[in-house]
Formats: sequence, C-alpha cells, structure tokens
Amino acid sequence: MANKKINKKDVAGILDQWKQEFTLFVPSRDEGVVKWAKWDGADTTFMDWYRNTTIPSKAVFFPPMEEMFSFQKDGEGYHIELPASGEPKQLIFGIRPCDAKALAILDMTFSDAYEDPYYLARRKSGILIGLGCTNPCDSCFCTSLGSSPTDSANVDLMLTDIGSEFLVEAISDKGEELIAKTSAAQAATEADEVRAREEVKAAYGKVTRKIDTEDIKKKLPSSFEDKDYWEKIATKCISCGICTFLCPTCYCFDINDERIKSQGQRFRSWDSCAFCLYTKMPVENPREERWRRLRQKVCHKYEFYPMSFDVIACTGCGRCVRLCPVNWDITQTLANLPAQEQIKQEK
Amino acid sequence: MDPTEYLTMKDREMEQKLRSEAKALLEQGKVDCIIGFEDGSLKFTTTPLITGDKDDISRLVINPFIVNNLSVYLTESKGRVGIVTKGCDSRSIVSLIQDNKVAREDIVIIGVPCPGIIDLRKVEQLVGKDRDEIEGITREGDRVIITVDGNKKEFPTREVLFDNCLGCELPTPQECDILLGEPVLPASEEDKVASQEKINSLKDIAPEQRWEFWRNEFDRCLRCYACRSVCPACFCQRCFAEETEPQWLLPIPRGQDNLMFQVIRNIHVAGRCTDCGECERSCPVNIPLRSLAREMYEIVEELFHYKAGMDKEAPPLLAAYEAIDPEDFIR
Repeated sequence: MANKKINKKDVAGILDQWKQEFTLFVPSRDEGVVKWAKWDGADTTFMDWYRNTTIPSKAVFFPPMEEMFSFQKDGEGYHIELPASGEPKQLIFGIRPCDAKALAILDMTFSDAYEDPYYLARRKSGILIGLGCTNPCDSCFCTSLGSSPTDSANVDLMLTDIGSEFLVEAISDKGEELIAKTSAAQAATEADEVRAREEVKAAYGKVTRKIDTEDIKKKLPSSFEDKDYWEKIATKCISCGICTFLCPTCYCFDINDERIKSQGQRFRSWDSCAFCLYTKMPVENPREERWRRLRQKVCHKYEFYPMSFDVIACTGCGRCVRLCPVNWDITQTLANLPAQEQIKQEK
Repeated sequence: MDPTEYLTMKDREMEQKLRSEAKALLEQGKVDCIIGFEDGSLKFTTTPLITGDKDDISRLVINPFIVNNLSVYLTESKGRVGIVTKGCDSRSIVSLIQDNKVAREDIVIIGVPCPGIIDLRKVEQLVGKDRDEIEGITREGDRVIITVDGNKKEFPTREVLFDNCLGCELPTPQECDILLGEPVLPASEEDKVASQEKINSLKDIAPEQRWEFWRNEFDRCLRCYACRSVCPACFCQRCFAEETEPQWLLPIPRGQDNLMFQVIRNIHVAGRCTDCGECERSCPVNIPLRSLAREMYEIVEELFHYKAGMDKEAPPLLAAYEAIDPEDFIR
C-alpha cells in the first residue's frame, strides 16, 4: 500500500476515532516525569516537547506491579481467581523505535519455554504507533545496535515528522487495517516521501554516542574472569534499581503474596539484579559483591541474551546513562573491556 | 563546548590545588585512595572518581556540578581515604564518625568552600530546554549565564541552585584537613526563607490536601531505592524494607507501601540526616523527598536542639539520653 500522511492538526480527531476501539496512551508529563498516560481526549501538545518517556514502554505491557490472582481458603484447598482482564486493547501513540525494539526483545523471553499470559495478552491485542525521533538525546546510542531513531521494524504504523504533517507507513497488517479506516489520513505525495527520507537521514546523524558491538562480542566473554576490571568499574555504583527498572528490556520480577486471614492476592513486581538480595539463597549468595552484580547485568545484556535469542538485550535508549545518580555509563564500561591477553584470572 | 568553559577563576585555582594536594597525599602514602569528582559522560555532569592511582589525579575537577555526596562511599572504603568534601558532605562525614561507622584518623577531608551546586532541573525549567540542548552554563559569582541557540541569557545564580544549597547553613566544611579556598559565607536569611518555599507551601495546606498530595507523589514511586542507596545516613546492612520475618511492608510499588517505606526511612535517619538533598536529586520520578527529610530535620532541631553532623564529639542523637528528658519512659 502506498504511504499516507496525517496533518498534525488532525491528530486529536484521529486519536478520538482510535479511542473508540482502543485504550489509547500518549506521552504525558507528571511533575517532570514523562510516561504513558491514557489520552484525556484533548491534549496533543506532547508533539512539541516529547523526546522519550522516563518510564520505558514495557510498563504498559509489563507494569511495575500487577495482581496475578486472588486466593481464598476453600475447605482443604484454595479457590483461585484470575483478575478480570477483558480484552486489553491498548494503543500506544508515539512509541520510539528503541522502546518498540525492546518489546520485540521482551517477547522472546515472555513467549519462550514458559508463555507469560499477562504480558502476551496485552501484546497480542495491543497496537504500536511508532514515532521517529528528530531530536535524540546525547545519551542515545541506538545506531550502534542495528537500529536508528526512525527504525520502523517493530511497530504497526510508523510516523515520520515532516513539518506540519506526519508521513504514515503501514508496517504490519494490523497497522494497515487501522490506517485504512482512519478517515483523516490522505495519500502521501512524492515530495512528502523525499522530505521523510531527508528527516530519517538527518536523525541518524544526530546520534553521536557509539559502542562497538563487534569489539564487545570479542572481548566480553573472556573479560568475565577479570575480577580487577569489574571491581574497578563497580566502585562508584551504588546498587540502586534505576538502570534496571528504567531499562526497556529488563524483565526480572519478584512475586509476593499479601494475605489477610484466609484470603489474599498474589502480586508480581519489577525486581533488579542490582539488589544484593536478588540472588540471596538460604546458605549462599553468588552475587553478594557489587562487581559481580554489575558484571551480570552487562553480560546478561551483551553476552547471555545473544546466546539464547541471537539479539543484544539493549536498544541504546540511553535511560541508564542519563538517569543514573552517579553517572555510571555502560557505554564506557563496554568501550574499556580488557583484551583477552591482558586478563588476570579471578581468584 | 570546551568542558572547562564553565569554570570560574576560583574553581580553577581550587582544582589545581586539589590535584597537587591529592597527588601529594598518595605519593607520601598518607592515603590509599582519593574520592573526588571527574567530568561525567554527559554535558554539565560530573561523576565520582575513586582511585588509588596517582595517574588519575589530573582528572579530578571542581565545578558547579559536583553534586554527589561522596561520603556515601566511606563506609565501604578500605584503608585511609582522602575525600573531596563540600560543607554539606562534611556534616555527613561527621555524622558517620559520631556513629562509629568511620574513624576520623582514616579520613583526610579535602574541603571545598562551596557556593552552591547548580540544579539542572531548575536550569531546564528556566530556559525550557533539556540539559543536552543547552550549550553553556557559566557561573560568575551571583550571576549565571546560560547559552541556548547561540543566545546568552543571564539569571541570578540563586534561581538555579538546589533548594538545600540556597539555604545552606555550612557551605565551608568545619571538620577539615585541607581547605581548597577562602571560606564561603552561610546563606542569607532571605535565601534561607526562599529555600523553604516548597516545604512551607505544603505546611500551609489542610492535612487532607497534604495527604492527597503525598498519595499522588508516592503513586509514582518505583521502589528503585535510589533514595536509600545515595543516602550516607542509610548504612544498614539489611534494610527493614527487605525483611521477611517479619515482613514490615510489601516490596511492591503500591502507593501506600511506597509512602510507608519513605516514612519509616525518614524516622530511621532522624538525627543523622544533614539535609544534603541527595534523596530528592536522585529520585528518577521527581518525588520531592527533601520536603519530608527537611521537615524531620526541623522536628529534630525543635525537640532536641540538635543538628546532625555538626560536632564529632557529640553522642549520636538517638543513641543517647539525658535524665532530664521530659518523657517518663526513658527514666
């Protein structure tokens, strides 16, 4: 299908139309924190200020906390009830390519040996309207990870800002179906296409932070044994959960029951390998020291995940770099990995 | 931009002095490592530099962005440590000494007379741009010059300082071994009042509204525990928040549990909190945590006439009692 375009002035009307079918999320600012919020039916000013959300888009599909089920004592056993879900048809308007790619990465884990019904239900019925970045942050490094600020690979519809309009590209069948019934969408002209290509090229050049994934692939496995290196880079880390909680691809969670007398609920909530107690077991904690935890985080993303799923579990969104209270920068850790011949064995 | 462009003459002199003093300390074997700041990986940021290698010393910096309270690293440090210390940080160090968490003789305090640290969130709000879109921030005494889109704009420095810096009681470390420059005077009464604006506006509203306010704020909390991790007064080996027997509160990020976590944390650090502001600064979801911490600080001052981290010989507030205490239970 030929590409379409929508006028920015028509966005409110289009969102109104989509809202009939979907729970619609747009970027919203709450005390300076940018996150996905249900559209209020009026405000589209985010088009002027939105760069990326503080809270990554995984939160829409894998919320910071959710009820898994409730339970009630029933004779000798328990009666279990799943939370009322209905059809959670969620539309995200304006997801950035890094976050969309992160969802594709999360899909692999959540549909691997064990299929996660909570996450997958939301993913299957959800729809992603991507919006290319024209103003990436200085902490972004998506172009080093096979993506770009305007990468359309993991969304249903891709929008590119071409001034007073967005060029609209249907990527999936879902997206094509949606745009076909969107009355305000018009056919894009050749001039629009040219302008969009210029914007894509310009955006690519604006991402200046780089990592070298070939070099990392070569050095990271052997660096595992270099205790000195990991100790050195871990000295200033304070082991808070920011870089993992706000990482769009981190998916670890904890499970807790809240029980009052004979009934209660089971919750799951985000957990972090940065926390010392994350690996605490009755007699042993294999990652009690901070450097072991940081090493795990880096290796999980850049070595172990690729071993399982053939993709690096980092999309270069840069949140861990720009939100870290001590400016611990993963790109520096990756750039300074020791070469194999320099490595001292872990004692 | 030249990364040193935002340095004033004073900063430059202090930086030179810091590097030579730090180098001497390492070379003479007086310390095993230096904890200071180096340029961060992002514009207008610094990052902690913790090193025992004298070749790293030339990376040490002093500038208006040396924001971290480095004393948080002391309880984990081994051997003798030389630490770059602003006034507020020195109070945390003194408090740690009072609590026997560190030994005075193991620390060489390299004092920075501090005219206040620039709060980048305030700068962003003032000019309506994000940090990385700003071209320059230069402090010249009580004026700060911010360059955006090639245009220089001037603002009073007091408008871009962290609230706790604006009302700073101790800009120059009192407990100090090496002082890098001329002492800076404490905040004026006017600035102290201005630094309390946010807190006073909360005190002025009805309790129901205030409750509503905090409920909303803590709904955003993710329980990343950055507030706890950056806090020098939060030195427990095992935090109550993670106890399971008994489980004081659930680790799930639910408004009521989040608020309860912070309330208990505030009570735990009462008498140790020096109002350094790190909890609020590090919060990724901008919860105004300092307002709570500061209120507790003032309660402590009012009830016990005590300010944390002012006197290393004083017994720690909650580990001492006096027979004249008006409460019966203590006798």
